[in-house]
Formats: sequence, structure tokens, C-alpha cells
Amino acid sequence: MLELKGLTCGYGRFVAVRDLSFTVRRGEAMAVLGANGAGKTSTLMAIAGQVAVQSGAILFDGEDITALSPMARCARGLALAPEGRRLFRDLTVRENLVVGGYVRAARATAANMDKVLALFPRLEERLDNLAGSLSGGEQQMAAIGRAMMAEPRLLLIDEVSLGLMPKNVDICYEALDALRRAGLTIVLIEQSLERVLDMVDHVCVLESGSLAWAGTAADARGNPDVIRAYMGGVHG
Amino acid sequence: MLHVELVLQGLVNGSMYAVVAIGLTLIYGLLRILHVAHAGLYTLGAYITVLTTNATGSLALGILAAMLVVGLCGMLVYRLLYEPMLERPPYVALIASIGLFICMEESYRIVFGPYGSSFDMPRLGERIALGPISIAAADAAMLVGAIVLLTGLAMLMRRTRFGVAWRATVTDPAMARSFGIDTIKVRYVNFFIASVFAAAAGSLVAVLNNLVEPTMGSVPSYKSLAIIVLGGLGQVGGTLAAALLLGVIEAYGTIYAGAYLDRDAIAFIFLIVVLMIRPQGLFARGS
Repeated sequence: MLELKGLTCGYGRFVAVRDLSFTVRRGEAMAVLGANGAGKTSTLMAIAGQVAVQSGAILFDGEDITALSPMARCARGLALAPEGRRLFRDLTVRENLVVGGYVRAARATAANMDKVLALFPRLEERLDNLAGSLSGGEQQMAAIGRAMMAEPRLLLIDEVSLGLMPKNVDICYEALDALRRAGLTIVLIEQSLERVLDMVDHVCVLESGSLAWAGTAADARGNPDVIRAYMGGVHG
Repeated sequence: MLHVELVLQGLVNGSMYAVVAIGLTLIYGLLRILHVAHAGLYTLGAYITVLTTNATGSLALGILAAMLVVGLCGMLVYRLLYEPMLERPPYVALIASIGLFICMEESYRIVFGPYGSSFDMPRLGERIALGPISIAAADAAMLVGAIVLLTGLAMLMRRTRFGVAWRATVTDPAMARSFGIDTIKVRYVNFFIASVFAAAAGSLVAVLNNLVEPTMGSVPSYKSLAIIVLGGLGQVGGTLAAALLLGVIEAYGTIYAGAYLDRDAIAFIFLIVVLMIRPQGLFARGS
């Protein structure tokens, strides 16, 4: 479903990711791991169209979407729950969800909102609160919910558990697991290695902007190469 | 009864300031541009209203024509002036805007003459009795017009999908784009609506004073800039409250300090004092 072919991307002259290639098949979940500054977020943002691609290609369902706007990518079924959640803080949770579903027909909004509330029942009582007033866990739920309002076929999610209480991490992972079992393709970035390996099918590890290791989640578990790359090479 | 009439008069003036300043704050909120030339569009709206009304005999047609034409002119100003400057530092757009405003004022002087134009209609001075108090028909039109425009804007921004998308774009344009919002369209609609507001205010002031002149935008220009700072830059609600407050202060000041100070001087003393105490504005969120 998603294929990166020799992706090089960055900011101005700075290259954040160099010659990265991987494939994610339909219905799979893939984790992108690596130390801080390895290029994980840049990779995700490039797939979403938020970071300039300097060379290489991004294929989505066989179509080259490298030059498409973020808007066009969203319309094709890509949705992003970004690092730091980036909710629209001055809008209510309900309004954030409406924005998430903006690319779909207005008549689908109510049904999609019901699905999001079934996934995260806690949001129901917070629907009319400003997003800026939510706790970290609620913000992550709202960010995932907002992305789901776009009826995505591929969900990109950055730092699922960062800064969340364990209970909220559980809620978010249970929701992601339910979505994956329902057939959604997911690419996620995560700091918590053990947690993410329980959920994903494949792992790719980045080191200094390049692919350091790729394989199945089962092969990644306890693999010293993965741990070394994940820790930024400090142990080896 | 004096106080009721003063508050009413203050609200009339304040509603005019609000309509102009909210247009300005919409543009600042979205693009961080201080659109000084907004006051030039305000004057254009006044001229179109007078000319169309005198030609057709219909004030309603005059106001509608002004709103439509000035709204389109606002989009043109964005396309030709500001869009090429979006990547430049904000002061570049500010200087360009001041230049455009001066150019517009001088163009009005050349095209329409320096002495001003007025309506041929005889009924503009009528007064409407509201129990023991009375209000000029033009004042009532200003107040009702402002209420209709501001209510319409609030409905658009709170009750429609496009309005929610607009507010999302103001908060985080990059994220708004990633959810399929056409932020370029939002910018054009923003300029259209802000300019419609300028035209409506210009039209209603033309009715209020029965006079349109090339420099009529000067005072609203710097006063509305001060109001949007007073209201907390980019805050629509704060701008409305600041404009109404300023109108009422002016009305009281004219009666109680009018012998010593001009109305605009009273307004600016108030603004200077407030901004010395709260430079972030009366209604800014956070610090």
C-alpha cells in the first residue's frame, strides 16, 4: 500500500533522511524506530506532505504521490496524528473532529464521529470543551480521533505514548490495535520499544537519517543490532 | 436619560469602529498582516454607495453594490499585493499597505474631487422615537447594520463547516491543509468578508454624515489599528468589546471633556493609557 523508494528529505539544505526505502502492505502495522534526531518524524511528515522531498518517490496504492499537496494526500486516504498532537487549541473537541472529516462529505460527519466516540468514549463528555483544555491523554485520543474522521486507509501516528500516563497509553494502544484488526494500515513512531513490538508486524530502525535495520517485529525483539540502533549507537 | 442617550450614541460609533476593526482583525488573525489599506476600501465603499444610490434612487442597492465590489477589490488586493509578499518579513507588507492606502486616497481625490460628495435623498435626517428617547434613522441603520453583519459572521464561523475550517486555518494552517482544507480559498474568502465589512462601514458612515470625502478613511484607519491592539491582536471578540468600549468612552468624553479636547484626542488618550497599563491589549489571551 505504501512504498518509499530512495526517499531523501529535509529542511532547506539540511538533509534529515537519506535514501530510505521500505514497503508497508495493506492491513499491516509498521513501527519506525530510532534515537532522537534519527529522522523518524521527518519520514512521517514527508509521507504526509509536510516536509519537502529532495529526491526519491512515495507511492501510495501504486500512485506516485511525491508531488501531491497534503490536501490531496488526505483525500486519497492518508491521515496524520502528528508529534505533539497539534490539536486546534481554540476549537472544541467536536470542532476538531469536524475539521478531521472536512475532506469527506458533510453527511458522513455524524456517523464518523460516532465511530470515534465508540473508540474513545471519554471524548464524549469533552466534546464541547476547548481542545487546549484537555489532558495529555485526552489530547492524544482527540488527535487519533481527528485523523480517523478523514476515513483514512493509512494512519500515520507520531509518538503514541510520549508524555502519557500508563492508563492512557493502554487506551490508545487498544484503540490502535482495534483499528489494525479492522484492516487499517498503520505507520507509527514510538519511543517505547516493548510496547510497540507487541502491536506491529514490521519494524524499521533509522540511524542518522538512514535505514539501519528492517525486519519483522518478532526478529526485532531482543535483537542487539536493533537495540544498538534504537539507542543511537551508544552501546555498541 | 442623558446616560441612556450617551451610551446609545457610544454604541452607534462603537459599532462602526467594530465593523471596520473586525475586518482588520480577521486579516491580521489569518495572515499577520496589518492591512492599513483596509481604510481605503472603506472609503471606496462609501463612494460606491453614494454614486449608486444617486444614480438608481435605491440606498439598499447602493450598499449591496458597494459590499460586492469592495469585497472583490479586497480579494484583488490580496492577490496582487500581499500574496507575493507572504514569505517576506511582516513589515514589507505593512509598508506596501501604507503605500496602497495613500495611493487610494490620492486616486479618490483625482477621480471624485477634493470637496466630497453627498446623497441626493432628502429622508436621511429623520429621527425614530423609542419611547422617551429618539435616535436618528441613520444611527439606527448603523446599529442594526452592525448587529446583522456581526451576527452573520458569528453564525458563519461557529455554525458552518467552512467557518470551523476557517478558524482551524487561523490556528494552524499547516495542520488545516493536512486535513484537506483549502487554505488558499480560506484566505480569499477572508479578504472578501473583511472587505465587505469595510464597505458596509463606509456605506453606513456615508449615510450617517451624508458626506463622502477622499480622506474619510484616515481616522478609522489608525483608530481601528489601535482598537485591534486594544482588543488583543487577532481576537474577534476582544476587538468587538474594545470598539464598543471606545465608542462609549468617546461619547462620554465629548460631553464631559469636549470643551478641552477633540473627540479623537479623547479616544487616543484612552487608548494610550490602556496600552501603557496592558500593552498586550485588554482582551488578549495569555501573556
